[in-house]
Amino acid sequence: MLIHQKMKLADVIHHDHTLVPIINRFGVHLGFGNLTIQEICETNNLNCAFFVIILNAFHDPRYFPKEQLQSIRLAILVKYLQKAHIYFMEDKIPEIASMIEKMMDECLDNREPYLLIQNFFKEYSVELKKHIQREEERVYPYAIKLEEAFLSGAYPLDIEELIQSYPISAYEEEHEDVEEKLFDLKNIIIKYLPSPKSDKLCYQILREIFSLEKELSEHARIEDLILVPKVETMENALKLKGFKHE
Amino acid sequence: MSEIKTVVVVEGNYLMQTGLEAMLLELPAVMVVKSFMGDEMNLAGFIRKQQADAIILNPFSLKEDPVAFLRNLEQKGEWIVFGMMEKDAPSNIKSHFSQILYTSDTKFDLQNKIRSALGIDAQSDQQSLLSEREVTILKQVVLGLTNQEIADKLFISVHTVTTHRKNINRKLGIKTVSGLTVYAIMNHMVSMEEVDHSLK
Repeated sequence: MLIHQKMKLADVIHHDHTLVPIINRFGVHLGFGNLTIQEICETNNLNCAFFVIILNAFHDPRYFPKEQLQSIRLAILVKYLQKAHIYFMEDKIPEIASMIEKMMDECLDNREPYLLIQNFFKEYSVELKKHIQREEERVYPYAIKLEEAFLSGAYPLDIEELIQSYPISAYEEEHEDVEEKLFDLKNIIIKYLPSPKSDKLCYQILREIFSLEKELSEHARIEDLILVPKVETMENALKLKGFKHE
Repeated sequence: MSEIKTVVVVEGNYLMQTGLEAMLLELPAVMVVKSFMGDEMNLAGFIRKQQADAIILNPFSLKEDPVAFLRNLEQKGEWIVFGMMEKDAPSNIKSHFSQILYTSDTKFDLQNKIRSALGIDAQSDQQSLLSEREVTILKQVVLGLTNQEIADKLFISVHTVTTHRKNINRKLGIKTVSGLTVYAIMNHMVSMEEVDHSLK
C-alpha cells in the first residue's frame, strides 16, 4: 500500500505498527486522534513530502521515490538519519543488552555460553558505533557541504579536494560489513546456544535482533536510495563546473 | 531439503517482475532477495552484493550493453544466469544464455527449468557436521592465526586453508571470527583462557 498525505496516520499505524518508532523520530507521538498525515505535519512543522517518503520507504521495500528525489534536501535527510542513529544506540542496543543480561541471571548454573553471547554483542555494538561515527563525522558533513556548494552555485576549492579524496562511491563499499556479525548472532542463538530456562526471553531477544536487523537494513536502504544518488549527482555536476573554471 | 536458494530478478516490466516473483515464491526453499528494473546505476555492483544463487535477467531491460553486462556478471560470481525473453528474441542474444525462460512458457515449464538448474529436488549431500580437519583449522582461526600461519603449521597450502574456511563458514552459518570463537568455546573446542591468552 502506498501511503499518502491525505490518509489518517492512525489508519497507517493500524496497517503497519512497525512505523511507530519512525514517526517518533520525527517528534510525532501516539495519541494523534483522527488527524491526517498532512495535518500532523502542519502542527509539528514537518516537511510533509519528506515524512511521507520515509514512511513509504520503511513500509514497502520496493518503494523508490524516483520522481521526488530532486526535491529532498540532504540537510533534512541527514537530520533524520542522525535521529535514527540515536534510536539505535540509545534505545535498541541497550534494550537487547539488558535482555541478554536478564537471560544470564536466569542461568546462573551455566553462565559461560551467555557470557559469550554478551561479549559478542558488546563487540558488535562497538563496531556499529564506529560505523555510525564514521558516517556522522565524515559522510554527512561532506554531503551537506556538497549540497551547500551546489545550491549556492559557488565552487570552493576544498570541495574539489574532498570529492577526489573521499567520493561517496568509497563509502558505498564499506557499508555492509556490520551486517555479518548480527547474522552470526542470530545463527548462534538459533542453532548453538544451549536452550535457556526461559523460552520466552530467548524469543524476545531473537525478535528484537530481527527487528534491529530490519531497521538497520531499511536505514541503509534509505542511504543507498536517497543520499548516495543525490551526492553522486552533485559530485558530477560540481566536477563539470570545476572543469569549466580551468 | 537442500539449502535455501536466493534469486535476484532484473526485469523492467513491472507486471512481469511481480509475476516472476510470485512464481518463484511458490517453489520450495526459494527466496527472492531483490528485484531490479534494469536501469539502475551500477547495477552489476548491486547484484554482486546480494550473494544470489541465480539471476533472472531480461537483457532488454538493461540500460547498458547486455553482452558486456553478462560478461561482467559471469566473472564476478558463481551464479546461474537465466535469460528472460520472448521466443522470437534474436539468436545472438539467446546464445549468451545457457538457461532461458520464455514469456510463453507455462508455469510448469518455468518452474521445472528453475528447479532443475538450481538443484532444488536434489538430495542434500552436504554434511553439516565439521570434519576433524575442519575442527583443527577452526581452532587455529579462533586462536588468531592467519591463513598463512595455519598453512605453515599444518603443512598445507594457503589455498587449502581458505577452502576449509569457506566450508566451515557454510556448515556453521557463521562468517565472522568472533562468531566462530563463540561457537568453538561453546562446543569446548577451545577454552576461554586459551582465546584470552592468544589475544595478548
